[in-house]
Amino acid sequence: MSTVLDRGEGGTQAERRAPRGTLFALVSHTSRSQLRSVLIWGAALGLYSAAMVASFTAIEGSAKELNQLMQAYPKGMLEAFGVTNLGDPANYLHSQFFGLAPLALSFFTILALANALAGAEERGTIDVLLGNPLPRWQLVAGNFIATAISLLGICAVVGLLIWGTAVLMDVELSLRQIANGVLNLWPICIVFGALALLCSALLHRRALAISIPAFLLFGMYLIDAVGRASKDLEDWRPASAFYYYGSAIEDGIDWPNFSVITLIALALVLLATLFFRRRDIYT
Amino acid sequence: MSLAIQTEKLTKSYGRKARGIEDVDLAVEEGEVFGFLGPNGAGKTTTVRTLLGFLKPTGGRGKVFGLDIRKESVEIRANVGNLPGEFALEDKMTGERLLEYFARLRGVRDLGYAHELSERLGAELHRPMRRLSRGNKQKIGLVQAMFHRPPLLMLDEPTGGLDPLVQEEFLDVIEEVKAEGRTVFFSSHNLAEVERVCDRVGIIRGGRLVAVETTETLIDKSFRHVVLTFDQDVDPKPFESLSGVRDLAGEGRRISFTLYDDLDEMVKLAAGHTLVNMEYERPSLEEVFLTYYERENGEGL
Repeated sequence: MSTVLDRGEGGTQAERRAPRGTLFALVSHTSRSQLRSVLIWGAALGLYSAAMVASFTAIEGSAKELNQLMQAYPKGMLEAFGVTNLGDPANYLHSQFFGLAPLALSFFTILALANALAGAEERGTIDVLLGNPLPRWQLVAGNFIATAISLLGICAVVGLLIWGTAVLMDVELSLRQIANGVLNLWPICIVFGALALLCSALLHRRALAISIPAFLLFGMYLIDAVGRASKDLEDWRPASAFYYYGSAIEDGIDWPNFSVITLIALALVLLATLFFRRRDIYT
Repeated sequence: MSLAIQTEKLTKSYGRKARGIEDVDLAVEEGEVFGFLGPNGAGKTTTVRTLLGFLKPTGGRGKVFGLDIRKESVEIRANVGNLPGEFALEDKMTGERLLEYFARLRGVRDLGYAHELSERLGAELHRPMRRLSRGNKQKIGLVQAMFHRPPLLMLDEPTGGLDPLVQEEFLDVIEEVKAEGRTVFFSSHNLAEVERVCDRVGIIRGGRLVAVETTETLIDKSFRHVVLTFDQDVDPKPFESLSGVRDLAGEGRRISFTLYDDLDEMVKLAAGHTLVNMEYERPSLEEVFLTYYERENGEGL
């Protein structure tokens, strides 16, 4: 456990080095603490998406009529919601679930990562935790890694429920399509979580660390949706994270966009680390 | 002897919002139990949090076991067991799980001492924190600070919320820690506790360290509340004229006053009458502070 350091003449025999493996301990503990949330979020979104898959069998027979009906809707509106062909289960699931899912699932990462720093400061738990030889950068990175793993867990639960329902209901959705759809949720949801972490590190107020990313999440969704509907606002779309989201269940994952969003998330975490290392811990 | 804690003009300013600490020069020797005393808001917690790297100093220097508080905070925390003054523990977690987690963060494999301490202090390790009383949370706070046998313990109001029997057991543990040659940096409002375990005390006021004394000296500087009850009415004037008597109140057979000076003269004077009862009370630490501060300012005696 302890190692004596040589501190020279004025030194002491009572010194220990900081132990290794603290990041792993933090990540495994945080992931374990988030397990219940993973199951709740996974079950809630998974059951909703499974219900959408099941509902497809009800409209499948009348898809032609539905598409004709949809033509009566303004084209911009259909564009905004990503509706192209309701007879295609992949497009149906995108328009009914995957297009909107980031709006809900991002709150998992936002809440988890706003709690990690500012939440712990407000609850008064951070002094006891940081009383351990845990570098501050590890507190930031460890919480991010754990939340990123938990998010993958939620995506896996959702994916399994969609796939299971599709198999049971004989809906033509391949495992690959479903995997693409749920995996594509990961970068867009983690980037808003990373923003919450940055706000938490910068502002040390949990309410701000939640409300700022939440405001941007809905703002960006609106920019993208309205930009798709209106040519006048189309130029604004690249400013929205949703512009890079696409429809992976139909078109597969756009890996360059996936990577860009992931890199932005990592840059936000890096900034959060830098700010958190330099500031006081508030209680 | 090496120093466990050393600060030179250590300063932490919060700007206009609140007072921090200013030019604190502190030297705590290895192996001593050092009491850090001061009224609420004096700067005790700020000093501890600055030493642990939670707060960034705005001036001066500080070292713990020769490690720089600005650059080697993680190494410092590897050598320190910390009990914050006001802390919370994760509601859903049990004490056992918290200790397992902290043991992994510290690379400790054997929780034997943690369980021994828990048993001695009566800490409930198998119930979630949200179901524990303040005293029980405090016990778990103490165990998490001490279970890894750190060379330096920093304990802020460690007996707050503990019942007298547990306080006694805790003080026994501190004496064992001292016997092992480990250092304790201890802040408390309880004078009896400080007197029992601390070798020296530092007094902080308004963010400045105003004195560092041996415990004996601090106690000597304090006063006593005296209440004398006689078998018949007694003239209080002779007592009033004694040196070091303040705030005298005489009412029939009962005379009460505060005695700052030698006991001998007062006892001799009282012995001239038939004494039925004599109460001789230590002041609270807060009162000692106030007197001490008055002396420092030349406002008092």
